[in-house]
Amino acid sequence: MNVNENKISVSEIDASCRVPLLALFGGAALWLVIGLALSIVASLTFHKPDMFANCAWLTYGRVQPAANDLILYGFCIPAALGVMLWIFARLSQIPIVLPLLPIVAANIWHLGVVVGTLVILSGNSTGFLWLEYGRGAFVLLLCAFFLFAISAFATFGARHHRELHVSHWFLIAALLWFPWIYAAANFFLVICPVRGVAQAVIDWWFANNLIFVWLALVGIGAAFYFLPKFAGRPLHNHYLALFAFWTLIIFGTWCGIPQGAPVPAWLPAASTVASALLIIPLIAIAKISVKTVYGANTQCKGGPFCYIKFGTAAFILSSLMLIAQACPHFSRVVGFTWFGPAQTQFQLLGFFAIVILGGFYELMLRVMGCELPYPKFVRVQHWLFIAGLVLLVGSLAVAGIVQGMKLENPKIAFDDVSSATLIAFRFSTTGQLLLLLGSFLFAANIFVMTARWKFGLLKSGWKALNAPLQASEVKS
Amino acid sequence: MKSSFPIFLAVFVALGASFGGFVVGGISQLGTEKQTTVLNSTDTYPLQRTGDATLGLQVYRAQGCAACHTTQVRQDGMTCDVVLMGAGKNLRAVQKVLGEIAPADKDLATNQLPKTIFSGVTKEVAGDNSDKLTGAGAKAEIHINATGADISRGWGIRQSVAEDFLWDYPVQLGSLRAGPDLANVGARYTMNLQLQHLYAPQSVDKNSAMPPFKYLFVVRKKINGELSPDALSLPKGIVPDDSEVIPTDDAKNLAAYLVSLRADVPLYDAPFTPTVSAPAEKK
Amino acid sequence: MNHDLSNSKSQTSTHLTVPIWIIALMLTLIFLGGVYFDHHSGWFDAKVYGPYQSAGQLAAYQPLSGEAAIVAHGKQVYEINCGTCHGPDGMGMPGKAPPLAGSEWVNAKGFHRLVEIPQLGLNGTITVKGQPMNFPTGMAAVGSAMSDADLAAILTYIRASWGNNADAVTADDVKAVRASVGGHHAIDGDVELKTIPE
Ligand code: HEC
Repeated sequence: MNVNENKISVSEIDASCRVPLLALFGGAALWLVIGLALSIVASLTFHKPDMFANCAWLTYGRVQPAANDLILYGFCIPAALGVMLWIFARLSQIPIVLPLLPIVAANIWHLGVVVGTLVILSGNSTGFLWLEYGRGAFVLLLCAFFLFAISAFATFGARHHRELHVSHWFLIAALLWFPWIYAAANFFLVICPVRGVAQAVIDWWFANNLIFVWLALVGIGAAFYFLPKFAGRPLHNHYLALFAFWTLIIFGTWCGIPQGAPVPAWLPAASTVASALLIIPLIAIAKISVKTVYGANTQCKGGPFCYIKFGTAAFILSSLMLIAQACPHFSRVVGFTWFGPAQTQFQLLGFFAIVILGGFYELMLRVMGCELPYPKFVRVQHWLFIAGLVLLVGSLAVAGIVQGMKLENPKIAFDDVSSATLIAFRFSTTGQLLLLLGSFLFAANIFVMTARWKFGLLKSGWKALNAPLQASEVKS
Repeated sequence: MKSSFPIFLAVFVALGASFGGFVVGGISQLGTEKQTTVLNSTDTYPLQRTGDATLGLQVYRAQGCAACHTTQVRQDGMTCDVVLMGAGKNLRAVQKVLGEIAPADKDLATNQLPKTIFSGVTKEVAGDNSDKLTGAGAKAEIHINATGADISRGWGIRQSVAEDFLWDYPVQLGSLRAGPDLANVGARYTMNLQLQHLYAPQSVDKNSAMPPFKYLFVVRKKINGELSPDALSLPKGIVPDDSEVIPTDDAKNLAAYLVSLRADVPLYDAPFTPTVSAPAEKK
Repeated sequence: MNHDLSNSKSQTSTHLTVPIWIIALMLTLIFLGGVYFDHHSGWFDAKVYGPYQSAGQLAAYQPLSGEAAIVAHGKQVYEINCGTCHGPDGMGMPGKAPPLAGSEWVNAKGFHRLVEIPQLGLNGTITVKGQPMNFPTGMAAVGSAMSDADLAAILTYIRASWGNNADAVTADDVKAVRASVGGHHAIDGDVELKTIPE
């Protein structure tokens, strides 16, 4: 494709993203709302254990993974793909190539999420953490990802400016990363299962490479695209960013095997060493972000800039929690406690969802060529999310440490250990409610926006139908 | 830089390395694991779970029990005890040695044996002292104990190792202890207690936070006011006096699986000295 | 907000070099990580878990009871005191010492002769496995300074290893033999050895 002669306008590029992005984000918003609602349903069990005693579909052990998977597979990944696609188009300075593919991909993906969620709730989950969806959904999700990747690669390959942007490194790597880990894990765990505890090793490998590495690649890749734009100045230190990229994937990929797991010592030892080394990319990412943003005279006022700044900071914090979990002594205390879920939720919602939402609010106006229906919601959601996250993550993390210290003391009966953590659920459930409220605002914006746009289409279509025929059209 | 080749290379190198290490390495080391023998015995371990317990694992998976329970015991360290089994022919000499190494036991009489002379010491200390005792003609043994908070809690005797999960698919290690560890729950609860606990956890443990799994049971009117043989024998007040609770097949299988959870024999990679010779459960 | 389309490097990112201190920090952490891995990984041994740090440590913590413990102890003492001449595999060494594996002296029913060999030393022609042999250096009284328990453990070990199969020797047995021999010169080959009751 040769775009040199007739320069394509920015709005044309943005407009080419419209339908695919609406398809990706629309479903994502729905899944975020349902996912958060289900996680509240799950946590009700801790307030009243016999709440769903007669309802298999709503038992904690099914709702909890269903909610988590909805947040990860339903919201995080498709929303990330949307932001990614737009960044690719913008960086390539061309409209999306093969725009039909991401639309089809989005629909297949969302179908996969429906199938997977039903599989879990009906009691047919595979039983592997973060891979509960099973065969059917696996095929759908993987196909959808391939279709999406074809279009993304084509857009990337046809880029006008051959020079690579820093974000290209992170995002292209993410495109290659996901199919590899997702296919390998499903192959060895579901399609052609391996024997014994090797299953757990593969599951940990997969979960870490998806929830830590993949989310970091996309989230930080997007942040490195948006931060300089918001700050109105170049990204600090190109080479340090590439250094962060290399160290992130080289060290990050070896984390994830918990200390004390029933596997030979070298596996957790390797993860511990790798986790300690994660400090290096973290320092680099923190330095780049701070130097890029600090002193810029753009105010964020609860807008997209705030989202991305908060999200990047949350990434550093949640990664530090991850490193702490791998420390030989600390891991003994917080292993098997609520500290782990706190870290995961922080990574998913505090870091990733916030960065992606920031990107979404930034790009959506441009893509739709109009203001958001409820621009104030952006700021309200920002505060709701921050408050919700502080309550959710803070209370669970503290509860986890208390729980862990009590578990370490065998004189404290187990019942007393768990009842000590119950108080934390008041806070964490409140936090989840705030998050749910925030996600409603997000959903409201995108749904009203979609509805208005469709209505507009209908209207113009209707007009076109009723318009008197032109002479040229009569001929043909 | 203009070429995207380095990105491909980066992913291939980085992810390829951990794929090779954890996935390929893990499969070749753990995926080929075979049955072993119980330490100092010829019994094979682990035995295949019984049919109903194997089905029960699927019920465990389907209800997502692993969301709240782990089935893995952690171990922090190991200690040794020196146990004097017999004084041999020369009690005097043994007492003399005891006077040097353990003054509290220097007046030991033969009828007090076997007696633990040292407990909770390192292998080196235990080895030195037991050598001294055997040198004096006594018969001394070194007992190995696994230690750790999980073990002190009574959740197991030793840490969990790969062999314990050899036959399981899917392996349900769990990652959170909202409830207690279940690696050895078979040694703690009987089948009937398991069923009662599943139906009404709070009737077994008042403060339990576990949700009841009533949907795995059928409540029906007693026939002629008699309890049918299949019904649970529950304490009064859980169901009306004229009703009885019948476990479904799922409940029975799940309970069978839970009862089959026992990882308490010594293995080469998780050694300890059984206090009462631990019988490998044979059916 | 700057939303131009150009993304040439000069405009989207500055080009400083990677600070040297972060590379130094990384190398330091890699080194420390290597040390940690060396101590805690058991070097990929499939049997080494958790608190155990090496295959050697795991082996040391195997619970032994009764004879097994004595044999394990005997192996250790043997390898230090006798293995240098008779070989860790008990096959002997040409010009140095005859084999113990399969030796009729080691597998004898009684233990008297066997205790006296290390207690007193052995010179002259000795017939092992039907073959007369002669070693100019002979065997010194290497066992005379050992404790009864140690010597008993060694003898139990050599009688139970490398295909040998004879009863254990206890510390009491050693003691009894020692008391009966008193001061003595080295035994003179087959001839004198055979005068000692089995
Ligand atoms: C310095 C080398 C040396 C050491 C150390 C040594 N031996 Fe020997 N051993 C010999 C030699 C040489 C002979 C053959 C002596 C001869 O020429 O008659 C022998 C012979 C024997 C025999 C009889 C022959 C046979 O093969 O059965 C026994 C039993 C024996 N040694 C046991 C021991 C034990 C037990 C120890 C350790 C406590 C020990 N030896 C340490 C050199 C050694």
